[in-house]
Amino acid sequence: MTKDDALQIVLRALERLNEELDEPVDVGPRTPLFGADAVIDSLSLVSVIVDVEAEASEALGKPVSLTDDRAINQPTSPFTDPETLAGYITSLAA
Amino acid sequence: MTSLGGKIALVTGSRHGVGRAIAEHLLSRGATVVGFSRGEASLDHANYRHYRVDVADASLVQAAFAEIARNVGPVQIVVNNAAVLTSQYAMIMPPKAARDMLDVNLLGTFLVSREAAKMMRRTKWGRIVNIGSMAASLEPIGDSIYAATKAGVATLANVLSKELGPLGVTCNTLAITAIESEMLNQLPREKVEAIIRNMPIPRFAQADDIMNVLDFLLSERSGYVTAQTIWLGGIN
Repeated sequence: MTKDDALQIVLRALERLNEELDEPVDVGPRTPLFGADAVIDSLSLVSVIVDVEAEASEALGKPVSLTDDRAINQPTSPFTDPETLAGYITSLAA
Repeated sequence: MTSLGGKIALVTGSRHGVGRAIAEHLLSRGATVVGFSRGEASLDHANYRHYRVDVADASLVQAAFAEIARNVGPVQIVVNNAAVLTSQYAMIMPPKAARDMLDVNLLGTFLVSREAAKMMRRTKWGRIVNIGSMAASLEPIGDSIYAATKAGVATLANVLSKELGPLGVTCNTLAITAIESEMLNQLPREKVEAIIRNMPIPRFAQADDIMNVLDFLLSERSGYVTAQTIWLGGIN
């Protein structure tokens, strides 16, 4: 899986989330997902993570967990923005 | 009472006792029922699907849910019933028995609920019912771990009700009293009967006592009922 493949998975999950939000957010590679500048709340981020895990697992043919100890121990949170998350997914797939 | 036709219900510990009775009841109400147990199916019904799953094993639970998603559909009702019981004085309780109760009764309830919640968030409707026990309130001698796990499943439901409420999912606990079952047979009869004699309604539970409350918690009209523990038989 390339980083762009992973990025598309994340962006699709955000587009699906947007369909449920009263006030849709701008979706792009640098949309802040986590931290003080996050544009979505924690429950929405959980929904995105669950969606991304499901689609990445399907694509890779093996379970993908984005929230295990490895994710927590990253120097920069993998959930900072779609670009960062895509990079993290690619590292798991390698 | 409205039909559960079109709904997919998951019952853990569906092979014996209360779990099997609940599975049969939900089938009679028109639901498609998915059963989890470590053993083979004991139910044969056109709308029953059985999965051999140890609910305490996260990877097995995840794999089963992936299969359910592919072959059955999104689970909208969960009855977390699977439980094991060893009653013994704490000082001589085998550590493995204590661990098994924690794993199956508490961790298993958590693992199944979280996977079901991932499905329920899509349909924006869900009912999670944890089967609790009078032991959580009465705290009988010998049931230190079992009672703690049953108190734990109620707390689990209460926290999940906050996380899942915005998704249209209710989480409640149905705390049952002693009912004739294989699990009950593991306890000294005189000990159980002494407890029953001191209850406000001094009799064993019957299956219909459980189904009455279960139907209430599962109903469409109970969408505003969450984070509740309903005790049978006058226990509180």
